[in-house]
Amino acid sequence: MAAISRSESPPGTERPRWRWEALRPTPRFRRQLLRGLLVALIFIGIVAGLALLFGISIIQYTLAGFVVGTIVVVAAIGLTLIYGIRGFANFAYGDLMTLGAYVALFANLLLGASLPWGVVLAFGVLAAVGVLLEVLIFSRLEGRGPVPPIVASVGISLIIQNGIRAGVGTQQWNFAVTAIQDVVIVPGLGIHPVRGIATLVVGLSFMLSVHIILKYTNLGKAMRATADNLELAKATGIDTKRVTYAAWAVSCAFASTAGVLLGLGSVISPTMGFDVLLLIFAAVILGGIGSPYGAMLGGLIVGLSQEMSVPLLIWLGRPDVIGLEHATAYKVAIPFIIMIGVLLIRPWGIAGRPPAFGRRAFFVERLSRALSRKPTLARKVKRDDIGG
Amino acid sequence: MAIDTGLLTNIGFYVSISIIFAILALGFNIQWGYTGLFNAGIAGFFLIGAYVTAIAITLPAPPIVIAGIPVYPGHLGGFQLPFVAGALLAMLASGATAALVALPTLRLRADYLAIATLAFAEIVRIFAINLESVTGGTIGIILIPRPVEFRPPDPFLNTTAIVGIGALILFALLFVLQFIAESPWGRVLRAIREDEEATMALGKNAFRYKLQAFALGGALMGLAGSLFAVTLVYVEPSVSFAPAVTFSVWVMVIVGGSGNNRGAILGAFLIYGMEFLSVQLKDFAPAALKDTIFYIRLMIIGVLLILLILFRPSGILPEKKRVLR
Repeated sequence: MAAISRSESPPGTERPRWRWEALRPTPRFRRQLLRGLLVALIFIGIVAGLALLFGISIIQYTLAGFVVGTIVVVAAIGLTLIYGIRGFANFAYGDLMTLGAYVALFANLLLGASLPWGVVLAFGVLAAVGVLLEVLIFSRLEGRGPVPPIVASVGISLIIQNGIRAGVGTQQWNFAVTAIQDVVIVPGLGIHPVRGIATLVVGLSFMLSVHIILKYTNLGKAMRATADNLELAKATGIDTKRVTYAAWAVSCAFASTAGVLLGLGSVISPTMGFDVLLLIFAAVILGGIGSPYGAMLGGLIVGLSQEMSVPLLIWLGRPDVIGLEHATAYKVAIPFIIMIGVLLIRPWGIAGRPPAFGRRAFFVERLSRALSRKPTLARKVKRDDIGG
Repeated sequence: MAIDTGLLTNIGFYVSISIIFAILALGFNIQWGYTGLFNAGIAGFFLIGAYVTAIAITLPAPPIVIAGIPVYPGHLGGFQLPFVAGALLAMLASGATAALVALPTLRLRADYLAIATLAFAEIVRIFAINLESVTGGTIGIILIPRPVEFRPPDPFLNTTAIVGIGALILFALLFVLQFIAESPWGRVLRAIREDEEATMALGKNAFRYKLQAFALGGALMGLAGSLFAVTLVYVEPSVSFAPAVTFSVWVMVIVGGSGNNRGAILGAFLIYGMEFLSVQLKDFAPAALKDTIFYIRLMIIGVLLILLILFRPSGILPEKKRVLR
């Protein structure tokens, strides 16, 4: 399309084209990059300060936070894609992750393939499952609001979870990966080559590939257009049906990889996916529903806040402070507290776009308006005085 | 005795638990059937009701340590209030929490509320498991006194008494809720479900009505929890209040007919009947199915959810059609 519009301009006036013109950073992107770097610097400063104050274990928790955050990011990107395009919360997403992990496990243990091949197999199988779900169930529920698809997805979740329990059993499994010790960076600070480094690398490559697909391919552009406004996308001639299938395939394939990463980090069990589903929802809502970049940001915030709250909770659990029993068990609640805070102040998420018709009066605004009612009245009176 | 009280006790147990699920379904029906608010954390409000009642009416329970090993962490309690006070406290606690949970999300789309309530239910369960000095940890709260206790203990008479109390509460609730549904207040709720903007344009404060409906539904779930605590005479956090309870209640309301109180009750008796039968039939099932019948039951619930929402979203007893005159 770009070629057609270019050929319309008279010959000779065309500027010499850089070969990778599409990749040249726009001013907006440069601004965002600068802002991101600033935030990253501040974050590193805070972590360094905390580490100086409380010892190196803070950095260990931060690393753990990044690993958990990466898994949540991969899952949240997949969830937010379907959320944006089909407009409902897929409650079966956690169990699709479990299914992906079990497919990889099947390839890993029964077929004797190495884990990367298991990941590839799970990727393909889950993509097919995603398209099948859309064809069989969700396409029939189009236009009935957000709740009927949620109910159907819970049905799918129950079927997958209990199907695995009935078919494979409730015991816990591990991938057949050679056991490796943590790599020690500094005494007291280590990272596991598979659980840590491989997860981070896979997560980063997924984030990068999503960015490239969404920004530089026709499919990605069509996806963004469909998520933005379905009717307008249809009117523009985008085959929204095909886009929806593609989104389901990508979403479920991401679920499978996130499931494998999750199983690599701990154990594989029938409820492993459902247990982290809420974290993924928190990430999606934090970042702004339907926004993949928001999902990346939200996933990192969820992972970091959960893991970095551990030292704080351990401190709270000391008998001379509050003496909270099993204090670290509450770490999963921390992302939700942040999520509720975001819902109160910016319901459309950190990176999401506010609703079109101005900002609706949400809870906090009403509160602030109620608190500042007196000054408004005073001003009115003054104006009346001038008028009189 | 001439009649087989064992079988009758079993049936009585089925009826008493069905009544509890029916009250849960009625609460969810107010929220979803009438107002269109989707609650994915029914189990959480149920749990709060059960624990509040259990703590309010039990004897003091200090930690038990045998030979230096903590056996039971003890729980908050020793108030020894009567059951009625415990039930009222449970309703108050659940209703107030429901309002608090709904406050940040009621103005947003339905799925925000669903996610927030699901998260709430899980957080409540984490607290119930880990806050041992209040809730008794994974063991939970035991030795909850029944409202009517027969001495010497007779399972048949005790179950009958619980069924009687439950039935009384259920009929009273049905009467009141039918009245509410026909009242102007209920009409506004249905109007909000059909078209919130139009209702607001007519001068109704939709947010306030939604908050009231959600809190009322939450209070009913608390009442169900309260009955549950005195029916089982113990509460424990892991099985009774798992997310599967929430999903079962959805199926009950959708099977029975959302927006219809009688339908919700019918759905509760039918679906819990199916669950109860699957447990009773476990001994007769072939050996291969014995361990998995519980999971297969949950799979059937999943299939039912999908088929119903696809092909019969109005349920067995659909909501009464109201035509403008």
